[in-house]
Amino acid sequence: EFRFGPCRVENVILLELWEAFRAVKDSVQTQDNITSVRLLKPEVLHDVSDAESCYLVHSLLKFYLNTVFKNYHNKRVEFKILKSISTLANNFIVITSKLRPCVKNDMLSIYKSAHRRFLLFKRAFKQLDTEAALTKAFGEVDILLTWMEKFYHY
Amino acid sequence: FLAAEDTSSLQYVKFQSSNFENILTWDDGPESIPGTVYSVEYKRYGETEWLAKEGCQRTTQKSCNLTMETSNLTELYYAMVTAFSPGSLLDSKRSDRFSSLQHTTIKPPDVTCIPKVRSIQMLVHPTFTPILAEDGHQLALEEIFHDLFYRSELRVNHTYQMYLEGKQREYEFVGLTPDTEFLGSIKILAPMWSKESAPYVCRVKTLPDRTWA
Repeated sequence: EFRFGPCRVENVILLELWEAFRAVKDSVQTQDNITSVRLLKPEVLHDVSDAESCYLVHSLLKFYLNTVFKNYHNKRVEFKILKSISTLANNFIVITSKLRPCVKNDMLSIYKSAHRRFLLFKRAFKQLDTEAALTKAFGEVDILLTWMEKFYHY
Repeated sequence: FLAAEDTSSLQYVKFQSSNFENILTWDDGPESIPGTVYSVEYKRYGETEWLAKEGCQRTTQKSCNLTMETSNLTELYYAMVTAFSPGSLLDSKRSDRFSSLQHTTIKPPDVTCIPKVRSIQMLVHPTFTPILAEDGHQLALEEIFHDLFYRSELRVNHTYQMYLEGKQREYEFVGLTPDTEFLGSIKILAPMWSKESAPYVCRVKTLPDRTWA
């Protein structure tokens, strides 16, 4: 079960996400030659409070669904990459559908803090050429999953 | 038409990691020149500057210990090896992106097998890594891999084995025949990270039963 602060997500097997990504990790990361840019940099993911985590994971997974995976589908890529993407996307859809980030006023400052982190990631993504950004973002799913594992309760 | 030959004098630059001891290794290429020496640099993924690894500059060795330089579990790293022959730079090759959390393999656990009359006890000792916690203590594997557990097995005979598994470090197989030899083994698993160690194996004999002697 994932516990992103007040948000609970059950019936998602994190190992399945890892296995889907590991199947293509080396080939995707090898295509990313911009070693001096990291989208999910420490400032985005380090020391995220439980309260922030629900907002941040919701924004990140939505971005991966609507921008990274969606556009990756239009690229000419190997079948195994499309297979990996569909497994990841299906699980991200399940997770985001179950996340209910709170919208009360007293949570506004926490929401803003999480949003600033997300904007750091999004800005770094937009600064790159689209093809390079898509490859880099997909190659960083291991960083995303490593961070999400902190909120996973066995 | 001549096929393009690989004229590199350097190949297979990669990290070998076991229990978070991270060693960079490489090979000389098909076109290597006698007297070639190598220099190693490393950096964090996302940073621009490459840092020279002290102790691995102009070396004839084909490996370099980067454990301390790559010890942050939330970071990913790259390493670069440059080959020089007397007076000139021959070749440079970069490793793949490296994360010790994802890439390290787990060595067999350190275990003490204790025979008794009708049971065998197996005590697993914690495996400490070079990774330091914020308070400075060395992290054990259990503190790093939250889903880590142990699987112990006792082979009674060719057709019969007993299994015990869990997160605890003490296991006891009971109801055994005195004065009999058994083969015990224990391995470490961390499924989330697809890690499984080779087993520690001990051959041990239960004690003779002297109660009626």
